[in-house]
Amino acid sequence: MKVKVGIMSFAHLHADSYAHCLKTNPRAEFVGIADHDRQRAQAKAEQYGVALFDSYEALLASEVQAVIICSENAKHAQLAQMAAAAGKHILCEKPLMTRLEDGKAMLAAAQGAGVHLFTAFPCRFSPAFQKMKQLIDAGTIGELLALRGTNRGSNPGGWFNDLELAGGGAMIDHTVHVADLIRLLTGQEIATVYAETSNQMFHGNYDDTALLTLTLQNELFATLDASWSRPKTFPTWGDVTLTAIGTKGIIEMDMFAQYLLHYDDRAGRIKQVFWGDNIDALMIDEFLRVVAGEPRCVIATGEDGYRAAAVALAGYESVRRGEPVTVAYE
Amino acid sequence: MVKVGIVGLGTMGRQHMDAYLQMPDVEVAGVYDHHPDRAEAFRQQYDVPVASSFNALLECCEIIDICTPTYRHAEYALPAIEAGKAVVCEKPLARTIEDCERIAEAVHKHNTLFMPAHVLRFFPEFRMAHQLIRNGAIGTPAIIRTRRGGDFPITKSDWYADFEKSGGVILDLIIHDFDWLRWTLGEVERVYAKALTFRKLNHLDYTLVTLRFQNGTIAHVEGTWCDPGGFRVTLEACGDAGMLEYDSAQQVALRLATRADEGSAGGVQVPESPAVENPYYLELRHFVDCYKTGATPELTVTDGVEAVRIALMAIESARTGRVVKR
Repeated sequence: MKVKVGIMSFAHLHADSYAHCLKTNPRAEFVGIADHDRQRAQAKAEQYGVALFDSYEALLASEVQAVIICSENAKHAQLAQMAAAAGKHILCEKPLMTRLEDGKAMLAAAQGAGVHLFTAFPCRFSPAFQKMKQLIDAGTIGELLALRGTNRGSNPGGWFNDLELAGGGAMIDHTVHVADLIRLLTGQEIATVYAETSNQMFHGNYDDTALLTLTLQNELFATLDASWSRPKTFPTWGDVTLTAIGTKGIIEMDMFAQYLLHYDDRAGRIKQVFWGDNIDALMIDEFLRVVAGEPRCVIATGEDGYRAAAVALAGYESVRRGEPVTVAYE
Repeated sequence: MVKVGIVGLGTMGRQHMDAYLQMPDVEVAGVYDHHPDRAEAFRQQYDVPVASSFNALLECCEIIDICTPTYRHAEYALPAIEAGKAVVCEKPLARTIEDCERIAEAVHKHNTLFMPAHVLRFFPEFRMAHQLIRNGAIGTPAIIRTRRGGDFPITKSDWYADFEKSGGVILDLIIHDFDWLRWTLGEVERVYAKALTFRKLNHLDYTLVTLRFQNGTIAHVEGTWCDPGGFRVTLEACGDAGMLEYDSAQQVALRLATRADEGSAGGVQVPESPAVENPYYLELRHFVDCYKTGATPELTVTDGVEAVRIALMAIESARTGRVVKR
């Protein structure tokens, strides 16, 4: 039995990758698309050869068992609550929410309806990260002392630069992946955040540069660069890196450093051509398995998404107060 | 011939000696170390006169070059300044801001030709990066990241491991980056830092420092004495019109790999990329030229004081958990 899945909104650019994963995964039946942007919905339905639904309600009234939500960040809460009320399992794009109360409402709605709510954190599935976690768990670098992470990208533009719809700028966009990896690696919650932000890359009313310092338990500390600092001529979209410092050594992970460099005369630029595993496909595959009744292994829960987003929100609170703040999870 | 005297005959004393040996107009007229056996080993290696005391060194030299451990800089710098010598002093200028200010005061009082030896400014890659950024190559700088370090520096006296003497990885090592960033971006507004420095771990030190400059630029400086993988320096400067990137582990003009001898380990790592003139030579040549021509060195005592001030702000932040403002 294939798992019937619909996509709610293509506002987030990751929707195309997930749509492709659904089309190519033998466990999936990609049923259709709904989007508050009707033109976009129509174009995407044609592109993927799937049904076009007139409304989110119509999609949720269909036979789909699960939905992937790729709307603007601020709309996740409403769509997730609608999907939960309709008894559909949910995979929600990150960041899970732009306000703590929205996240709480999403978690409560999913729990109340007895549906799965997952957060799209594909970096968890990276073989490089999984190997790093194994090495640390095995004590290869001794006691963990510090972590240094980056998730830099270029400015996605559009609604990502709208504080209402995105809930912030670079910091809310790019804090959550690595915050999630740090939680997973350490088994600890991030306790405090200090953040510096600026808008000196794009000079807008949003943060395009963000540097966070995090503390965990046992004096463990980390920094995380969440800036949209990759220039237009950068050979790829950005990076996810995490370095672990231990009493016996260090591990440096550069998640997407599996590429050929292509000096492309026709395009007039140099490009990284990635040859590593498709982590979106690995995540979608587990999503489909869990919806079909198999146990969860790696995929991030709604709670994981909530806790990672809370770190980004604490970053904004730190910037407002000009000092380190305790992360508010409640 | 310009007569130079070197005090402190460890790793940096040797680096400087090697540089002076390439200068036909310089004579190392004397050297001094308060450890007689270290002075004797130096004499045997270089065939230079060992002064019987620091005062004797002052009497035979025009320029005093201070290469002692950080906590002894003021002890040698102050009498050299008082004696009217030109003084070049290894970084950091001193272990405490009080010592820095005493040195600065003496320099001003005696109108001394003085240079803190922040050699990074003479590393061609960092010099070029500074010039490119100042000339607008990346537009307005938004965020600059640097990384510096390798394994823990181990010497006979193990003074690097004594925070009261060395100031740990923040004061001893990444002061290079603090000086370069200040040279490139201007004054710092506030600093926030985390470090292993106060955990009293055995020969491990590591820090992640966030700096906010008055021009709005954010900087992230990583300093490590925790990386057994060898000394590595990286620089990434991002602005609204582009980015500059340097990684000493990626851009290697010459690579040598040999099997280690038994029992070889430790030491203080001095990075090197093949060049006609190494940065230590360029730095000391610049100072000798200033001495001969009366020109003002590119680096003044104020630069030395301010770099130490930034490092001490980072140390204070790491110790207290608070943001430290200038």
